[in-house]
Amino acid sequence: MALFNTTSWSLAFKLSLTITAVVTSVGFLIGILMVVQDWKRFQNDLAEKALLLSESISITAPKAMLRKDYWSLYLSLKNMASKGPGARSEHEITDAMILDAEGMVQAHLHPAEHPIGLLFSPRDEDDKALFREAMTVRTPTVLSSGDFSKDGFQEGVVPLFSDQKYLGVVRVRLSVASLFEKTMSTAVIVLLSILLFVIIGSLLGTIVSRRVVGSLTAITRGLEAVGRGEMTDFSPIPVKEGGEIGRLSVTFNQIMSELAEKKMLEEEIAMSEKLVALGRITAGVAHEVNNPLAGLLNCIDTLRKHPNDKVLIDRYLPVIDQGLHRIKDIVHNLLVGLKIEESVEMITTGQVEKLHDLVLAEIGEREIDIIWNNTTDRDLFIPGKTEQIICNLLKNAVEIVPENGIVRFNMHQRGTSLVIEVSDNGPGVATNIRNQMFDPFFTTKPNGTGLGLWVVYRLVQSMQGVIEVKSEAGKGTTFLIELPVIHRRAA
Amino acid sequence: MRLCILFLLFWITPIQAASADTPIRFGLTAVVITENLRFLDQWSQYLEHKIGRKVEFVQRRSYREVMDLLASGAIDFAWICGYPYIQAKDLDLLQLLTVPIYRGSPHYHSYIIVHESSPYKRFSDLKGRSFAFSDPDSNSGFLYPLALIAKRGETPENYFRQTFFTFNHAETVQAVAEQVADGGAVDSYIWEYIAVFRPQMTEKTRIIKKSPSFGFPPIVNRVGVDAGTVSQMRRTLEEMVDDVSGKQLLDSLKLDGFGSYADSLFNEIRALEHAVQKTNPRHSVVKTD
Repeated sequence: MALFNTTSWSLAFKLSLTITAVVTSVGFLIGILMVVQDWKRFQNDLAEKALLLSESISITAPKAMLRKDYWSLYLSLKNMASKGPGARSEHEITDAMILDAEGMVQAHLHPAEHPIGLLFSPRDEDDKALFREAMTVRTPTVLSSGDFSKDGFQEGVVPLFSDQKYLGVVRVRLSVASLFEKTMSTAVIVLLSILLFVIIGSLLGTIVSRRVVGSLTAITRGLEAVGRGEMTDFSPIPVKEGGEIGRLSVTFNQIMSELAEKKMLEEEIAMSEKLVALGRITAGVAHEVNNPLAGLLNCIDTLRKHPNDKVLIDRYLPVIDQGLHRIKDIVHNLLVGLKIEESVEMITTGQVEKLHDLVLAEIGEREIDIIWNNTTDRDLFIPGKTEQIICNLLKNAVEIVPENGIVRFNMHQRGTSLVIEVSDNGPGVATNIRNQMFDPFFTTKPNGTGLGLWVVYRLVQSMQGVIEVKSEAGKGTTFLIELPVIHRRAA
Repeated sequence: MRLCILFLLFWITPIQAASADTPIRFGLTAVVITENLRFLDQWSQYLEHKIGRKVEFVQRRSYREVMDLLASGAIDFAWICGYPYIQAKDLDLLQLLTVPIYRGSPHYHSYIIVHESSPYKRFSDLKGRSFAFSDPDSNSGFLYPLALIAKRGETPENYFRQTFFTFNHAETVQAVAEQVADGGAVDSYIWEYIAVFRPQMTEKTRIIKKSPSFGFPPIVNRVGVDAGTVSQMRRTLEEMVDDVSGKQLLDSLKLDGFGSYADSLFNEIRALEHAVQKTNPRHSVVKTD
């Protein structure tokens, strides 16, 4: 069915089809006009000839009729009808007769069927009507069959007078058969030439439309490549012609090369941004690890100088322990979400409730409202890491809100997804740092490590979840997290 | 009229006799196929060679025209039908010169012919049909069928639906062959001649009646042609059979030769004319040209 759906046809095909259709219809129109004109001209010539032949007979006929010289009358018809060796056989006399005023046959080209001295007997009804008409004719007239057929004819009818007395009529009928054949052969020639023109026209049409549409097709392919995001491997469209198509090609090539350049620039920027991020991570790690390391090295140095000083040992060992734990935490948080850190520990949604108490403890004396809303069933299994995501977000929210601030926690189930929403009415995230907020070691807090949101980001990512951040300066921030993690209930 | 003709005869004859350059004019009628011009050239050359004077053949459409030429002295000799011969003989306009011998005798017949596919078997079947006569002055082509009708006490106008003259035996055969006429009367010699040279035409006709024999259309000379020329012509024609080229010409004519016969050879035609005139004295006023 797609074959008949014209909208799916290619432009090249449609264009060549249109050209072919135009060539064909014009050809046919001209051909038909030619054939019709030819036929009409032939008919007119034939009518004239028929009349001329009848008139030639009518010159001598009256005298012979008065003398009852039937033989001369017959011979005059016969001689007229007989074709000499040099005669042009363009017409054929099918019937010729001389009738008297009563319609009696005086001479007939076919005397066996129409004996002299008897009333003319028409072949059929049409012939009868013609006979009646011929008998009423008083001036030379042409009667014709009119229709376009092999059996058509033109009949010259000339009345005979002698001294103004009506004697009868001469009828000479010429067959159009040979003209019909001639017209038909003309028609065949015209049809064949039209066919030839159609073939040539279609070929030319195809070539022209391919030339025109070739450039358009290349542009279309280029645009499709843009749609797929492949711009760099685009090869320019060859510009074969001037005009609109040529200009379009040139413009398209320009746009494409500019797009490719832009894409390359973007890729370069992305690459340099990556390098910047990497640098920041490296610097962060170096800084965070280096800070405790200096103290640790001092402690170890001091202890080495006073190996037996118990007071020093008791004072410095906890410091070393604390410093090493800090380094461990940093490394642990950096590795969060990576395969090596992945655990299959599961908790139930009910276990999230204990975080409520934890946050309340964190708030302590501050005037902050926690609006807690957990609508999930309490027996759904979720990964244990979900706790850390919620905890980090709540911690951030509590830290950022001013006095009398509000922190909302909302958790519900949507199909197999767990939806977590943590919002605050704090100052919001400045637009210039929004794309950095999930970077490791990026922090706006004086004592922050800059790893909280990084950990959230990595964990959500490891669970194939989605994070959405809505933030408005002065109004607050909302983190919306959807995790496709609900697969079964606790037994 | 007669005086006029006599005057003409006296006036023309001395000139003709005096001048050997004056051609001998020979009239031909439909009793012989006159279409073969090459044959007529050969024959006139033959006669010229034998007689030593130029011989010209003169052709006219009807017997009557030839008879008029003969009467007016415009021609000296003529090959005419037996019927005009007996008519003119009575007026002392001409003399019997010699008679062709056809199939061993100076006789021929009249054939009543119909189309080969027609149902007509006898002459009476043609009553109410169309009929083609050859020439109003022809014995075989007109007088004989006229006599047949006269015997029944009728006239051609009543007996046949339509009649017409073709003025030519060959065309009468054509008229019947092409069914322009249902029947026709022709000279047997001409019919047989056509049967040899154009058999496709005679094949389309059928003879339903053959007349008794009549004297063959004779060659006559005008009264007043000098005796020398007359006897020379008679001798030349009658001696054609004796030399090769003469024989060839006779073969072309399908004749055995020429011979001298008494005027009584045409008595049968005279009897026919007599019979017709008795029944229908008006027949001789049949309109022709």
